[in-house]
Amino acid sequence: MKGYRRYFLNKLLWLLVTAVFAFLLNFTLPRLMPGDPVAAIVSRLAQGMSNSTGMKAVYEQYATQFGTNKPIIEQFFLYVGNVFKGNFGSSFSQFPRPVIDILKSSIWWTVGLQFPAIIVGWIIGNILGVLAAYIRKGFDKVIMPVSLFISNLPAFGMAVILLVIFAVDLKWFPTSGGYGFDLIPEFSWRFIWSVIVHYQLPFWSIVLIAIGGQAIGMRSMSIYELNADYVKYARFLGIKDRKIVGYVFRNAMLPQITGLALAIGTMVGGALVAEIIFSYPGLGTTLLTAIQGQDYPLISAVTLIITVMVLIANFTLEIIYGLIDPRIKAAQSD
Amino acid sequence: MGKVMLEVNELTTKYITRFNEDVYAVDHVSLKVEEGKSLGIAGESGCGKSTLALSLMGYYFSPLHYTSGEIIIDGQNITGMNPDAVRKSILGNEIAYIPQAAMNALNPTQKIINFIEDVVQAHDPKVSKKEIYELARERFEVLGLPKEVLQRYPVELSGGMKQRTVIATSVILEPKILIADEPSSALDVTSQKMVIKMLRYMMEKGYVKAMIFITHELPLLYNVTDDIMVMYAGQIVEKGSAQQTVFDPIHPYAKGLMGSIIVPESGLKDSKLTAIPGTPPNLKKPPEGCRFAERCKYVTPECKRFPVDMKYVEGNRSYRCIFSEEHLRKAYQNG
Ligand SMILES: Nc1ncnc2c1ncn2[C@@H]1O[C@H](COP(=O)(O)OP(=O)(O)O)[C@@H](O)[C@H]1O
Ligand SMILES: [Mg+2]
Repeated sequence: MKGYRRYFLNKLLWLLVTAVFAFLLNFTLPRLMPGDPVAAIVSRLAQGMSNSTGMKAVYEQYATQFGTNKPIIEQFFLYVGNVFKGNFGSSFSQFPRPVIDILKSSIWWTVGLQFPAIIVGWIIGNILGVLAAYIRKGFDKVIMPVSLFISNLPAFGMAVILLVIFAVDLKWFPTSGGYGFDLIPEFSWRFIWSVIVHYQLPFWSIVLIAIGGQAIGMRSMSIYELNADYVKYARFLGIKDRKIVGYVFRNAMLPQITGLALAIGTMVGGALVAEIIFSYPGLGTTLLTAIQGQDYPLISAVTLIITVMVLIANFTLEIIYGLIDPRIKAAQSD
Repeated sequence: MGKVMLEVNELTTKYITRFNEDVYAVDHVSLKVEEGKSLGIAGESGCGKSTLALSLMGYYFSPLHYTSGEIIIDGQNITGMNPDAVRKSILGNEIAYIPQAAMNALNPTQKIINFIEDVVQAHDPKVSKKEIYELARERFEVLGLPKEVLQRYPVELSGGMKQRTVIATSVILEPKILIADEPSSALDVTSQKMVIKMLRYMMEKGYVKAMIFITHELPLLYNVTDDIMVMYAGQIVEKGSAQQTVFDPIHPYAKGLMGSIIVPESGLKDSKLTAIPGTPPNLKKPPEGCRFAERCKYVTPECKRFPVDMKYVEGNRSYRCIFSEEHLRKAYQNG
C-alpha cells in the first residue's frame, strides 16, 4: 500500500500543479489584452448596448470583481475566490443573466452526452482491438483500416457524415437540438423520447471516433500480450482460449486507461465540436455562441469549466488505474 | 524395467516462418522415460531443446507444426487426437510443462489462487474453490511457500518464490510427466541444483511420475537425472545414463560439451563450458551428412556424405557418428 500512496500523492501533486496553471492562464489571458481589461470589456460592450444604467452597472461590477486597482497577486486570489463561490459575473450577450446560470443549464447536457459516449467508445474499441489481435485473418483486415480511417477523421467530419446520412438523407433522426423545439423541458414521455432521439447522432459520432483510436492501441497491446510467456504457459496447462483472451484483454486494457486519460482532452475537444454541429445545448454550443457574441465572461467561465473537468477526469482515471493494476504498485515500491 | 510413462517415436515437428520457410527444429526424435525416472536433455542454445519440449506436449499452434511420429503417454497414444480434447484431458493433467522463462510464466494481473482455480477448473469445472484452495495450500506448503502467497500477484513475489509457484502450479493436477525447460537458467548453479532437487522431490512425493529436465549445461545434469540425451541441430546425438554421458561421452559433440573434465566432483564444480568453436547449423537448410561435421575435430570427408544413423553400443547407450566407439576413444586419447 505504501507504493500506492506514493503513486496517489504523485498524481495529486500533478493535479494541483496543472490546476494552478489552468487558473493562472484563465486569469492572465484577459489581462494581456491591451489597456485596462475592464475598460476594454466595457468599451466592447458599449458597441452593442444602449442601456446606460446597465453599462454603468457592468463597469462597477467588473471594477470590484477584478479589483484592477489592487496588486496583481491580490487580484489573483480575488479571482480564485470568486470562482470557488461560483461567481463568474454576468453574461454580456444575455445580460444580466449570471454566467453561472448559463453554465448550470448547459453543463449537464455535456456531461450526459460525453461521459457515456467516451466510455462506450472506449469499451467497444478495446473489445474490437483484442478480437482483431486474437482472430487476425479477415476480421483484423477489416477492423484495422476502418479504425485507422475513423480515428484520422477530424472530429467534425464524423459528425457531418452522420448528420448528412441519417438526419438529412434518411431523416431517421433530427438534425439539431437536445429536444424538440416545440417542447418545454418536463418529465413526460414525449419529452424523454425526444431527448433520446436527439441524443443518438451526437452520441454515436463521439463513440465512433473514440472506438477508432482505442481499437488501434488495444490491438497492438494485445498482439504483444498474446506472445507473452504466460499465455503459452496457461495454454499448456489446458486453460481454454476464451479464458486466456480474458487475461490478455485485462492486461492490455489496463494501460489503455492511461491511454484514455491522455486522450480525454482531445476527445472532449472533439465532442464539443460534435455538440456544435448538432446544436446540442451543452457547453460546446454555449462556447460557440459566447465567442460569436464576444461574451467574454462566459467564454472565460466555459473554458475554465472544461479544463477543470478534463483535469478531474484525468486524475480519476489514473487513480483507478493505480488501484486495479497490481503492476503499478509493484513498480512504485522499488 | 519399470512401466514406460512416456514413449516418443520418430517425432518430427517444424516451424513455418512468416516467409513460409520450414525450420526442422525436432527431427526424428525418439525417447522413453520410465516411471520414477528422469531424463535430462542437454545441448547448446538453438539446438531445438525448447521446441522438443513443446512438441512433446502433443498440442501444436502456429508457427510450430506437427509433421510425423507418435507420442504415447502411459500407454495412451495421443497423436492424432482432437486438439481440443488434448487440451482438456492431456495438457496439465497427463503432461505438464514449466516454460524456459518461468519468471514471466504467470499472468501479472491475476492472483496466484485465481490462476490455480482456472487450471483446475479447466479440467474439472465441478471442483469447488474451497477444495482448490485446500489443495493449493497443501502443495505450496510442501514447496516451502507460505499460504499468503496464494493471495498475491506475481509482481509481489521474489524470483525464487515465483519459480516455486510455477513448479507448484505445474504439478497441481499431478501430471504423469513433467517437462521442465531450463527452469533455472537464470539462476546460479547452486540455485539451479535447488530447483532440480525440488522437482525430484515432487517426484518422490508422487505428484509427478516421470520427468524431463532440459538444460544447456550438460555438467549440471550429473547426479540429478537418471538418463541424459544430448541434442544437436534438432537431432539426438547421444543417449545413455547420466553417469556415462557426463564422465564418458562417446559423441564428439557431447565430449565438447563436457570440456576437459577428468576429475570427478572437484573437477565438476569449477568446470566451465569450453566453448566448441563455431555455431550450430541453420535449421532451414541442415547439412546432408553429419550435422556436427563442420565443427568436429575428427571430421573426414566421409562424414558429410550421408545422413548418420544412431549406433547402439554396450551399456544401453547410443550415439550418432560414423566412427566406432574404439576409434573415437583413441582419437580422444591422442587429443
Ligand atoms: N517461433 C519460431 N519460428 C521459427 N524458428 C524458430 C522459432 N523458435 C525457434 N526457432 C528456431 O528453432 C531452432 C531451435 O530453437 P529452440 O528450440 O528454442 O532451441 P533451444 O531451446 O535449444 O535453444 C532454432 O534454430 C531457432 O532459431
Ligand atoms: Mg530453449
